[in-house]
Order: sequence, then structure tokens, then C-alpha cells
Amino acid sequence: MEGEKAVVALLLQALVTGLLMGGVYAAYSSGFSLIFGVMNIVNIFHGELIMIGAFTTYWLFTLYHVDPFLTLPVSILSASLLGYVIQRFLINRVVEAPPMMSYLCTFGIHLILANLALLAWSADFRTVTTSYSGEGFSVGPITVPLARLATFGIAIVTTFAIYWFLEKNRHGKAIRAASQDKEMARLVGIDIRKVYALTFALGAGITGMAGGLISTYFVIYPQMGLPYTITAFCVVVLGGMGYIPGALVGGLLLGIIQSLTATYLTSGLSVAITFILLFIILILKPQGIMGRGAVE
Amino acid sequence: MRRLKALMLMTMISALLLPGIARGQTAKFRIGCALPLTGVFGRDGNLVKDAYAYWADTINAKGGITIKGKNYPVELLFFDDKSDQAESAKLVERLATFEKVDLILGGFGSDSVFAASAITEKYKYPMVSGGASSNKLFERGFKYYFSTLGKATEEVRGCVEIADMLNPRPKTAAIIGSDVLFTSLAAEGYKSYLKKLNIELVYSELFPLSLDDYNSLLFKVKQKNPDMLLVGSHLVVALKVMKALKEVDFMPKMVAFSYGPTVPDFIKSLGKDAEYVIAAAEWAPNLKYKDAVFGTARQLNEAYFKKYGRYPDYVEVASIGGALTEQWAIEKLGLVPPLKEADRVRIMEELYKMDVMTVYGRIKFGPDGANVEHPPIAVQVQNGKLVTVFPKDAAEKPVWYPAKAWKERKQ
Repeated sequence: MEGEKAVVALLLQALVTGLLMGGVYAAYSSGFSLIFGVMNIVNIFHGELIMIGAFTTYWLFTLYHVDPFLTLPVSILSASLLGYVIQRFLINRVVEAPPMMSYLCTFGIHLILANLALLAWSADFRTVTTSYSGEGFSVGPITVPLARLATFGIAIVTTFAIYWFLEKNRHGKAIRAASQDKEMARLVGIDIRKVYALTFALGAGITGMAGGLISTYFVIYPQMGLPYTITAFCVVVLGGMGYIPGALVGGLLLGIIQSLTATYLTSGLSVAITFILLFIILILKPQGIMGRGAVE
Repeated sequence: MRRLKALMLMTMISALLLPGIARGQTAKFRIGCALPLTGVFGRDGNLVKDAYAYWADTINAKGGITIKGKNYPVELLFFDDKSDQAESAKLVERLATFEKVDLILGGFGSDSVFAASAITEKYKYPMVSGGASSNKLFERGFKYYFSTLGKATEEVRGCVEIADMLNPRPKTAAIIGSDVLFTSLAAEGYKSYLKKLNIELVYSELFPLSLDDYNSLLFKVKQKNPDMLLVGSHLVVALKVMKALKEVDFMPKMVAFSYGPTVPDFIKSLGKDAEYVIAAAEWAPNLKYKDAVFGTARQLNEAYFKKYGRYPDYVEVASIGGALTEQWAIEKLGLVPPLKEADRVRIMEELYKMDVMTVYGRIKFGPDGANVEHPPIAVQVQNGKLVTVFPKDAAEKPVWYPAKAWKERKQ
């Protein structure tokens, strides 16, 4: 009986841990999906936007003792401002060129941002440790860390907010129109470049917010970005490129599969499984598991 | 127009030659090193860079290395290997063939040093490392590779043998670690000492450095509820494990790391959550070590703080110790720069004969290049400071045991 309980507890814990990790994945991947969906750009400096958001929270917390959750608006603002400027002055110049140009452009920006951050903040590993860092609550034998639960909640809210914005709001509709048919949108008087810059700012903003959130339970450093970009790419491919709710579904799925693998097989396999999944999806269902993603 | 072109060409050629001319004029020791200044081991690599700079500045403040009454200053060249072993080997080859430096100092991280030392062996550069300790480094029959640290499997001895000083004595242990060279060897070391002490190993797992989420792994450990958790780690892994331990709400009676907590960032980042943590170390300022260049261990500790605003990690002092041995070998042999291959061979031979007391402790290299006269110690975070707790005769304070559960700690 005791043994049975432990088995059930471990399974439940693995599912909860995976679900929460999935929330983290979703939180930092939806911006990537948005930018791809509208502009058809694989944003390689996505991870650097997370890094900027995380460092904004870190510095506000370290220098002025601002609670990490209160710093989120600043993280959003700093990342979206950066995103807006980069889009307006750099990416807009290559957005209609062949995809290779935008890869090169965003890859270059990735290198520049990561190395500027390295110069400014050195290679130190940092983390935000608040009085409630790592705190959680227990439901029976299950432990739920608070900060991750909050991230999970915020990920769901943002996903639906963006979905609503794109479906119902006038500006959102303009964004969708621009992504569906550039020429037609131009004809009806939509300023495509403005729409793109707005989309980029929005995508970068939610990514920066995710950065602020993860700084409380992950270790942050200037060169942390690239692995995040790669994971975001996997999450978005799983859920369907450019389909916003797909990032949530893909994130949760990846989180749960990784957690189950780590619990019942080995942690090493849980890293490999990400890429195994990526291959399977790309071969069998390139539109993502929801079947709603874009296929080139 | 043609004249202008010719003039420009000449200017360019002379600009290219200028460093060479300058090089010929002042006789100094040019010493190179490839270190991970960015990437996963970026922080650790920068510590070693600071240490070498500290050594060079101390020597240069006295005019340099003194050979037969004449001073030869030391000039250091640092290259960033980006925590990549192939890059490290490439840069060391560049130091040996293009820069033609007089000496090459050891880098950081067993994988990088493993690759780089194969190059120094080829070009007959003695390399004394203070930032790598994997056993494999010493199993290649190399003649030019030396280390001031103990072997990785032996470095963690203190973390396990401390069990005999604890009451009640721990009965069970779990081992986790990242599966790179140094940390997997540390895990192996833990295992063998546990066996010797008859402590039951209830769980053991190695994971890749790229693992995102440590929570699932630590929930598994939590379910086994071991008395001791022994971690094969570098700084970033140690930080991640501590973060995850708190999130899964688990604190074993004792948690120890092979590397990480002695780097100042550990306590700075984790604050009070770092309390009770035990770490393997090779040096502490309270030990009675000293030499003529740096004074006592305590003096070095304070002087270092004055210069960098932080106390040195043991890897830094081990690196200083390594640089010292090469300096003393040069002084004893009376070699002047630029050093030729025959000179470097003599330095290598001299290093094997050496048995010296340094600020880092006694250094005597065995036939495989490992330091055979250096006992491992264990330190613990107590009230925000690292305190030596093992071995008993060097302990500053008794070890805090058992560690308090997270919920019982006051913030």
C-alpha cells in the first residue's frame, strides 16, 4: 500500500513538474511564434530578448530591491523597445528579402547583443534570490513551487490575450491581414512596416517578461540566449509555426514529456527527447500537432 | 599618386613590423594562456585569469623575474577559448607557433586542458595547471603536463570522509553530477570513498550540462531521502542544484559539491540559501602555508581582497602556485628570455625535481605530473562565510550538521 502510494505520488509529481516547466516553455516561446507567424522571420536573437528581460529584473532587484514581479512591466518595456528599434532600423530592410538574409541579420544581432552584454556585465552567473525564492506549497505529497505556478498562469493569460488581440482587436486584425496577404493589406491602406514593428515590439515584450520571470528560478548570464532560442524553436515547431495557442500546447507537451523521461528513464534522455520529437513532428506533421501551423 | 601608394605600403609594412621591433628591444618573459573567458566556464576562467594577473603584477612590481641580478618583466597574453576544447587546443597551438611565447600556463576545465596539453606536449612546453584535475590528464604518459591540484577522484575525499565526524553518522547517500570529464570523475571518487566508509549508495545519476530543468531529477532523489547528497559540479551546476533543491522542498542532512561553492558568486547569488553547503577545496586562508613571494596564506587572502574586492577561490591560488613553480624553475636554471626549446626541456626536468612550500601549500610532482603532497580539505558555508571543517586538525569550526530543512530556516 505504502509503495503504491509512492508510485502514484511520483507520477503525479512528474506530471505537475512537467506541466509547470511547460508553462515556462510556453511563456518564452509565444513571442517567437508571433514574430514568425507575421513576418516569417526565424528570430535567432530571441534568447537575447529573454536575457535582456532577465537582466532588467536582476538589476532592478539587486540595485533597488524591487520585487521581481513588480519589475515585469519594465522588463516588457525594455525588451519591446529594443525589439521595436531593431525591427524598425534593421530587420525591416531584409524582411522581404529571401529568408537567408533575415537568418543572417538576426544571427548577427544575436552575436552583438550577447557580446555587448558580456562586456557590460561580465560572464558571471547570477540569479535573483528573494525572500520567497523557491517557496511553494504542498498538496498531499505533491510540491508546487510558487514562482513557476505564477509563470504558468501568466503564460496562459498572455497566450489568450494575444490570441484575442489578433482575432478581435483592430490593430490585431491589421497584423493578421499583413501576415496573410501583404499586397492586399497595402492596398487597403495598412502600413505594413508599422505593423511589423508593432508585432516585433509585442513579441519581444512578452519574451522579455518571460525573461524576468525565469530569473527567479534559473541561473542567468549574458550568453544564456542561444539554448533558449533553440528550445523556443522546438516548442513552436511542435505546436505549429506561427499559431499562437500552439506555443502553449507545444510547451506543455514538451514539458510533460521531458519530465516523464527524466523521472522514469534518465535526465540525459530528457534533453535528447526534445530533438527526437522535433524530427518526428517535422517529418510526420510539419503543421504541428494542432495542424494549424504554417508550412513553407 | 604612385608615390602616395608606395608611401602607404611602407607605412603598412612598418606598422606590421613594429611589434617585432619592440619585441626585440625589451627582454621580457612573454607568457601565454588560453582560458574560458566566456561560455559555460566563463566565470571560472576569469578567476584563473585574475590569478595569473595577480602573480604577474606581484612579480613585475619588483621589476620582474630576477636572473643573475637583472630583472625581466612578465607579459601575459590571454586568449578566450569560449569554454570549447577544440578552440583551446587551437589557441594554444597559436601561442606556441605564431606568438612563440616563452611559456604557456594551464587553462581551466579538464576537457579544455586535456586538449590543450596535448599541444603543449607536442611543442615541448611545460604546462602547470591549477584549474583541471581529471584523472585522465595524468594517464597519458605525458612528460610536460603538471598539476597543482589533486586528482579529481581524490579531491572529493574530504566531502565523504567528513561523515566520520558527524553525529549521527550518515547511513545513506545519493550522487548526482554533470557528465563531463571532471564532474563524472568526482562522482566516481564519491562512490569509491562511500564504499570505503560503508555508506549505502541509494541513488546515482549523471546528466548532461544542457539539462534545463533539475526539478524532475531532484524529486527522484527526494523520494530516496538520502542522508548525504554528493554532487559532481562546476559553479553553474551547483547553483542550479541549489535552486532546484529549494523548489522541490528537499534538504538532505548534508549536501556537498565538488566545485562551485568556493567561487564568490555562489554565496553572493544564493544568500542565506547557501548556508550548510559543503564543498571540496584544496586551499583555505587559515592553513599554515607561506612562501617568500606572497607571504602567508592569510596575507595573500587579504591582499587579493584589496586588489579585486573579493577573496580568492582555491583554484586561483592553485594557479598562482603553478605559475610560481615555473618561475622558480627559471630562476634556478638562470634562463633568460626568449626561451628556446632546450630551455623548456630543462624547465620540465627541474619541475620533476621540485619539492617546495608555497602559499598554496606543498608542491611536489609525481612521475605522472600530479601533485602528490597536497591533502584535500572541505569547507562549509556558515553565516555567509566559507569555513574550513575538514580535516579535523585544520578545522576552523565544527561542522554544522544536520542541515536545517528549508521550512525551518528563518529568512
